[in-house]
Parts: sequence; C-alpha cells; structure tokens
Amino acid sequence: MTETTDFEAKADIAEIAVERYKQGLLTRRGFIAAMGALGILPALSGKTMAATTEIIVVNWGGKAKDILQEVMCDTYTKETGIKVTVDGAGPSAGKIRAMVESNAVVWDLCDSGAGSALILEKAGVTQPIDYSIVDKSKVLDGAVYNNGVGNYVYSYVLASNPKLLGGNVPQSWEDVWNVKDFPGMRTFRKSVRGMLESATMSMGVAPKDVYEALGTDDGIKASIDRFRQLREHVIVWGSGSDSQNLFLQEEVSIGNIWSTRAHLLKDQMEEGSFTVTFNGGVVAPGIWVVPKSNPAGTEEVMKFIAHAQTPELQVKWLEMIGCGPANPAAAALVPDSMQKWNPSSPENLATQIMYNDTWYAKNQISAEELYVDALIN
Amino acid sequence: MPRLNDQIRYWMLVLPALAIMVIFYILPVLGIWEISFTEPATGFGNYVKMTESNAVKTSFILTFRVAAITTVGCLLLGYIVAYAISNFVSRLTPLMMALVLLPFWVSVLIRSFSWIILLGRSGLVNDTLRDIGLVTSPLRLMHNELGVLIAMIHVMLPFAVLPMLANMRGISRSYTDAARGLGASEWTAFRSVYFPQTLPGVFSGALLVFVLSLGFFVTPALLGGGRVLMISEYITYQIQEFLAWGLGSALSVALLVATALVLLIAARFVNLKSALLERN
Repeated sequence: MTETTDFEAKADIAEIAVERYKQGLLTRRGFIAAMGALGILPALSGKTMAATTEIIVVNWGGKAKDILQEVMCDTYTKETGIKVTVDGAGPSAGKIRAMVESNAVVWDLCDSGAGSALILEKAGVTQPIDYSIVDKSKVLDGAVYNNGVGNYVYSYVLASNPKLLGGNVPQSWEDVWNVKDFPGMRTFRKSVRGMLESATMSMGVAPKDVYEALGTDDGIKASIDRFRQLREHVIVWGSGSDSQNLFLQEEVSIGNIWSTRAHLLKDQMEEGSFTVTFNGGVVAPGIWVVPKSNPAGTEEVMKFIAHAQTPELQVKWLEMIGCGPANPAAAALVPDSMQKWNPSSPENLATQIMYNDTWYAKNQISAEELYVDALIN
Repeated sequence: MPRLNDQIRYWMLVLPALAIMVIFYILPVLGIWEISFTEPATGFGNYVKMTESNAVKTSFILTFRVAAITTVGCLLLGYIVAYAISNFVSRLTPLMMALVLLPFWVSVLIRSFSWIILLGRSGLVNDTLRDIGLVTSPLRLMHNELGVLIAMIHVMLPFAVLPMLANMRGISRSYTDAARGLGASEWTAFRSVYFPQTLPGVFSGALLVFVLSLGFFVTPALLGGGRVLMISEYITYQIQEFLAWGLGSALSVALLVATALVLLIAARFVNLKSALLERN
C-alpha cells in the first residue's frame, strides 16, 4: 500500500511511541475490516454514517491529515459551502474492499496508490472518474486511470546520512550496493515497489531501460539476487514513518525511501546529516479513488477532485508537506528554493523514471514472493 | 433424575461461553477455511501455491525456529524464577510475584517498543557498552533474529512462569527433605525427586509459550527489521497488501493445522490433560 502521507512521526521518543501504538491500532482495525467483509461484524467500527452534505476524504493520518484539510478541504468549503472532512484512518485497499462488500461505505474519497487503484478496480469496488468534471489535462501523463486519478506525486529516492558515512555520499544505486566504500545498514521497502528498479539500475542498466530489463523472468531474478547479496546490510521499512525513524535513530546510513518522508527528514535531521538525490528515482503518483456507492454521491466528489487540481493549492501542498504537484501547470509556480525537493520539477523528472503500473499489475505478486524469500531465507 | 438435572445445569453454565466461542471464533474460522478453498478459484489452488513457495517454506521454518528457541529460553529463565519464588520464602516474594504479573498490564506493543529504545544502534545498551569501552562500533542487537528472540522471551516469560509456579507450589517440601534425610545430596534430591514432579508444569508452560509464539505478530514485526518474517505477519501482508485473501486464509489454515500437529505430537509424550487442565 502506498502509505505516502503518513507523516506524523516526530523526532522525540514519546511521539514515536504514540506512532507505534497507532500502527498497532491500524492493524487491529484492518482485522475488524476483514471481519466485516466476512459478514461477521455487521458494520465497521469508527465513524458514523456521514450526512450527504459532507464529503469524507480519507488519507493516512498525522500531519498530512491536517494539511490536506487546510489546503484542499477548507478552501473548498469556503468556495462552495460544502463541508469536507479529512479522516486519517488509512484507506488501505483491504479496508476499502471490506467496506464496499459489507455495504457500509462511509468514505467518499480515498488517497490510494497506482497499484492499489488497479487492484481495487479489478475487484470492482471503486467508481470510474468522471472526466467531464475532472480535467485530464491537469494531471501528469501516467496518472490517469479509469477508476482513479493522480492527486500528487512522490518519488522513491536515494537518501543518505553523510555524517555516518564519513562524508562519502552515494550518488547512484551502484554505490548503494558497494558496501566496502559505503558501510552501514541500508533500508528498503517491505515491497518490491520502487525497489526492484533501484536494484536493476545498480547493475548498470540505464534508467529508461529498467522496465525492459525487468520484463523477463531472468531480469527479475537478477534484480532479486542483488537483494540477496545485500541482505545482511538491509533493514526493511514497512510504513513511511518506519523509514523516517530508521534515519532519525541513525539505524541506517542509506535508504530508498519516499521523497515525502525525505522532505520531513531534511528539517528534522541535523545540518549535514541528511541528503537526497533524485538521480535514479522512481516517480509514483498518489491516486484518488472513489469507493462504490459513496455517501456523498459521485458528482460531489468529482467536483472536489477538480478543485484539488488548482495549481496554486498544489504548490502550497508541496511547500507544506512535500507532495509534488500532479498538475504540470503547477511546476512553474514552485519557488526556486523548493524546486530541489520537488519530485515533479522538470529537472528532477529528467533524472527519474515513471512508476510502471502495467509492469506491476503483471509481475508484482510473483516478484514480491521472490523478494521476501531473498530477504529472509 | 438428579443426574440429568446435573447435566442440564452443567450445560447451562457452559452454554454462554460456548455460544460466544461458536459465534465469534468457530464460525469465523470456518469462514476462513471456506475462503481458502474458494478464492480466487474453487479448489486447492491456494494450497498448491503455498507449498510451491520458497518464501512460505522459509517463513514456516523461521516461525517454528523462533517459537522453539523462545520456548527454551522462557523455560530456562522461568524455571529459575518460579523455583526462587516458590522455594525461598522472603519479604521479597510478593514483589517478585508482582514483577512477573506486571508486564501483563502493559501492552505487548509498548513492551516491544521499549526494546527498540534499549537495543537500537544508539540505544541504551549500545551507548553504555561504548561508554565503558567494551565495544567500538555498535553491536547489532535488533533488526535481526536476536532482537526478536530477546523481546519474545521477555514477552512470553510470564506464560512460562505462571504454570510452573502453580505446579511448584503444589509440591510438598517433605519429599526433598525426606530425600536429604536419606542421604541424597542437594543436587540429587533436586534432580531425582523435585525436578520430575515439576515436569507437568514445565510441559504446560512450554506448550503455552510455544503455541502463543507460533502466532505471534507484533514483536517480530517491530524488532525483526522486516527480515524475520513470521507466518502471521506474512498472512497480514497477503491480506492487507495484495487482497490475496485466499492465499492468506490458506496460510492461516496451515498454521492452525501445524499448531494442532504440535499438540498431537506433544500428546504422545505428555499427558496433555494433566499439563493443561492441571488443578493445583
């Protein structure tokens, strides 16, 4: 799941403890959701049914929840008078499916990811986006789906801690696999998303050829083998806040993490102990999905999605939390000081590749299996 | 007639608990069994997939290994604690009991998280070791199997201590006293008189810890660094990430069957009835 906007972790231990507790709650909720879908619990716990005059937008909680509320929702309420509330419950594909299948839909709009959007579409639990209301031209290429549309973009980037590395900073994925010159633990995601690409590039494959190289079983195996070689130096991150904590607690010196998390880390880490390169990054769009028979109705939600495409608001979103604008028109409005951290700036886009969801739809499950095996076996 | 009345009374007392078990546990479990055979296609597809998967195999081996080592660790430490509490009466006994029970009041999540603070690269343990000059670079105490084992043994320890304690409290001192009186050394008295009497407690503690460890989720997920993927975490992963409920269900059925097998095998060597339903 692309829990891209789960930003609440703070540097201090107390906050992190609360964070862990929250993660525990999520797990329990996930379980309840699953029970709901099995028909054992009549409905999901949590929010009561929303009134039709209110739109419930769900993202991954924490600071991102408040910022989404402020930037996109409150401005919409001001314009139209319709109340929009953000719920940070974490709309994992499992929960959305459980909700729809148990006829207890309380969410109108969910912050999902490219892979999840396709899985959900296939499961038949999301609605098509109405492109007569939502403007296709205001979304980056590759972030337009039948049942989902890009809301912002983020990247899988190479982050490192120069202090732990003695000032020797890895510039490419090749360096990341070089444990002699760049000692210390690395962190990769507990999923192949954005990770196999980096392993492929570490073998000297040019960014533009990555998915072609991964197009064959041998290509996938070769990339998986790279993780097998590196595994004694790998700690895996599950949620975005995990990756953040690993850097904050100096558990790792290098990592392949989300640019949104890097955006927070640059302010939280001491000067000179955190750096990021977008070189060889993988750009992935966050995707809005609308669960079937959502309480506020299709049209209301589509209007809100269209509102969230406003370039000025998207730039504000970037400044406040690092979500790169999905609307190409916003790039020109980003202040120069921010361009360096903007995953969708023209300069950064040039050195990155686009997340290829067709590849994932076809290969992900089998690749995950091999990936897990390479890391634990 | 009084016999029948007794039986009716018996069932009426059992019924509420039984009903709750059937409605909230047995039926959902049957639902899981059904899903494992019907989704995505009817048949044994999920089970075939499962047996063909290296990752699943590794995860199962890992799960059983971690559970076994945890059990051994808990028994060793727990036996000493239980022995001390039940055989040396002192003012400290109530405090020792409290220390065994106290962890139950704190959530597993918080306890596991405390270990992160202790075992981290710049955690208390490593900082102390470095300050007194024992190590130059931090030891890797967590984000690996070692960290998982340390925390699991800590979390599971009360489950080993309590049954052994109950058992030891029921053992009369006069047996060992008699053995000593007949000339046995302290060690011999312990080994051939006291220890055999504690075995039922040891076995029930072992079973409890082992079975609970098999399905354990939180601690390995937090301290394993993602590389100690126990089967329960793997199940969550299938269900939450891939919506592969069929495979996830098949895995949980396999875990259930494996656990049942362990109990069956244990039953060959141990009197389960006395180990689990022991009345002391």
